[in-house]
Amino acid sequence: MVRKKDSLPKHKVYSIERKQAKWGFLFTVPCIVFFAIFAFYPIFYAFVTSLTNRKAIDRTWDFVGFENYVYIFTKDNGGFALSNSVRATLTFTLGTFVPMIVISLIVAVFLMQLRKDKQRGFFQLAYYTPAVLSSVVAAAIWMILFDPRGLVNQFSNTIMGTSGVDYNWLVDSVMLQISTMLVYFWKYIGYFVILFITGLASIPPTIYEAATVDGASRWKCFWRITLPLLKPTTVMVSIMAMLQCLKTFSTQYMFHQGGAARKPIDVITMNIYFTGIRNGRLGRACAMSIVLFFIMLGLAYLQLATTKSAEDVEY
Amino acid sequence: MNKFVGKITISEILIWAFLLILLAFVLVPILFMFVASFMDAKQILAMPFDWIPSKEYFTRADRTFATNFIKAIRGNNNNNIFFKNLFNSLVVALSCSVTTVLLASLCGYGLAKFKFKGRNLVFISIMATMMIPFEAIMIPLYMVTQKFGMINTYPGMIVPFLVSAFGVFQMRQYLLTFPSEYLDAARVDGLGEFNIYARIVLPNSTPVIATLSILSFRNQWDNLLWPLLVAQQEKMKTIPQYITKFSEEKLTDEGAMMAVALLASIPMFVLFFSLSRYFLGGAAVYESRKG
Repeated sequence: MVRKKDSLPKHKVYSIERKQAKWGFLFTVPCIVFFAIFAFYPIFYAFVTSLTNRKAIDRTWDFVGFENYVYIFTKDNGGFALSNSVRATLTFTLGTFVPMIVISLIVAVFLMQLRKDKQRGFFQLAYYTPAVLSSVVAAAIWMILFDPRGLVNQFSNTIMGTSGVDYNWLVDSVMLQISTMLVYFWKYIGYFVILFITGLASIPPTIYEAATVDGASRWKCFWRITLPLLKPTTVMVSIMAMLQCLKTFSTQYMFHQGGAARKPIDVITMNIYFTGIRNGRLGRACAMSIVLFFIMLGLAYLQLATTKSAEDVEY
Repeated sequence: MNKFVGKITISEILIWAFLLILLAFVLVPILFMFVASFMDAKQILAMPFDWIPSKEYFTRADRTFATNFIKAIRGNNNNNIFFKNLFNSLVVALSCSVTTVLLASLCGYGLAKFKFKGRNLVFISIMATMMIPFEAIMIPLYMVTQKFGMINTYPGMIVPFLVSAFGVFQMRQYLLTFPSEYLDAARVDGLGEFNIYARIVLPNSTPVIATLSILSFRNQWDNLLWPLLVAQQEKMKTIPQYITKFSEEKLTDEGAMMAVALLASIPMFVLFFSLSRYFLGGAAVYESRKG
């Protein structure tokens, strides 16, 4: 850009800013390159591959159009159909994230009622401990607990008043799904409690004081103040929890390797792994990946759209 | 909310009961892991379960208290691959957390403190990658890794996790509140732009750096899927793979199984109890995403 000579000071400021801007851009270049190569390119590549009949063992492949998509939606893929995986994933997601959100919200509200900050700190830390363990460790522990002679059966028998009944935690197809949900719930409950506590702590206590002075009960306070003001947090946390559940892999994989049937817990990620890596059907696996991508995108959008309110809360 | 000192109400008792039940649910499996790693399979599956490891276990001639752990370390083929796998896990997790901090802080700094053309586009594009799940791109990444001959190598295991979009976001949010006056003062003193980043911005971001590095360390320590794809040789595998393999082949030896689980968790427990502040903070910062 050409500038008039007489505006020298201005010109100088301008060039310094420009120089700085150049540096700012330079700082972001490594990340731009990284995300271009390791996020945008692969998803594009996945789509291209999903249109081919590519296999791991073959050197050549052809474009087959949408044949892979037709295949995964209509055929049973050697006994492990995509429709079954979608069902397994959605069941797992719903069965895990709904109880998780509800209970972690209740726990967070309860923790805020405790009289001492130290007590709250202790509970937060204790609830968070399972999240520190890796998913395979969590699955390993629970696999032993779910053994026919294990602690979970002993506990269930005590509660249900039965004796010596095996509840088939890892055998029955419904129980197996419940087991995976339980493991996931156990591992992440503390994490979501903390997210809710952060949200709750940002609600100014003066609002509650004012409501109490006006004669509102705690019950009313919860429904009329806490819940509406917590809406942004709830939306955020539930989207996060949902996306995380849709991507579950380790628990199911570990259970399967430990001898549980694959079909009831054959979540999409596991099906992608088995189809693409174990069976070498790269084209089909990529088609499944694209389906997974759109399911996640769609559900996140749906949740945002249905929970977005016109009036944003200010406090 | 209600902090009136004095009488204990019924609702308070109910709250405590609820919290304590959940506490038991959360802690019992962890406690189980600890005690079961000092038991033999017979005792672990005894009905009713006895929480105290039996004396027999320690006094029997063919065992010591560490028998389970020795089995755990020896692994399936007595080849002590455990240490190699532990080392791999540490290498991968540490490298990823270092590079995440460096790249994310550099990019976050650029986005937070500089005005340049296309800045918003860069920011939005990076945020958009959060919607691309790793699970959906792992097959193409695997194909590329294979093409470059990086299967069974550290670079192959590390490269896809050099930096995370969330890390960039977190650094940017933190640095937005960083006073620009410091930066200008340094500029007046003639410090170069890169030196400003390295000597002023980086040392002053320790809390967010700690949170971020712990988060990415934990994610990689927990990662099973990607190593399953790229680490196929025994000596390149990581700890989660070791545990999976071990559980497949030592199904009946629950004691050794729990010993492996305990050994694999020790590094995380040490980190957690010494730096719990940053762990809990790491969970809490997700919150800041909303605004």
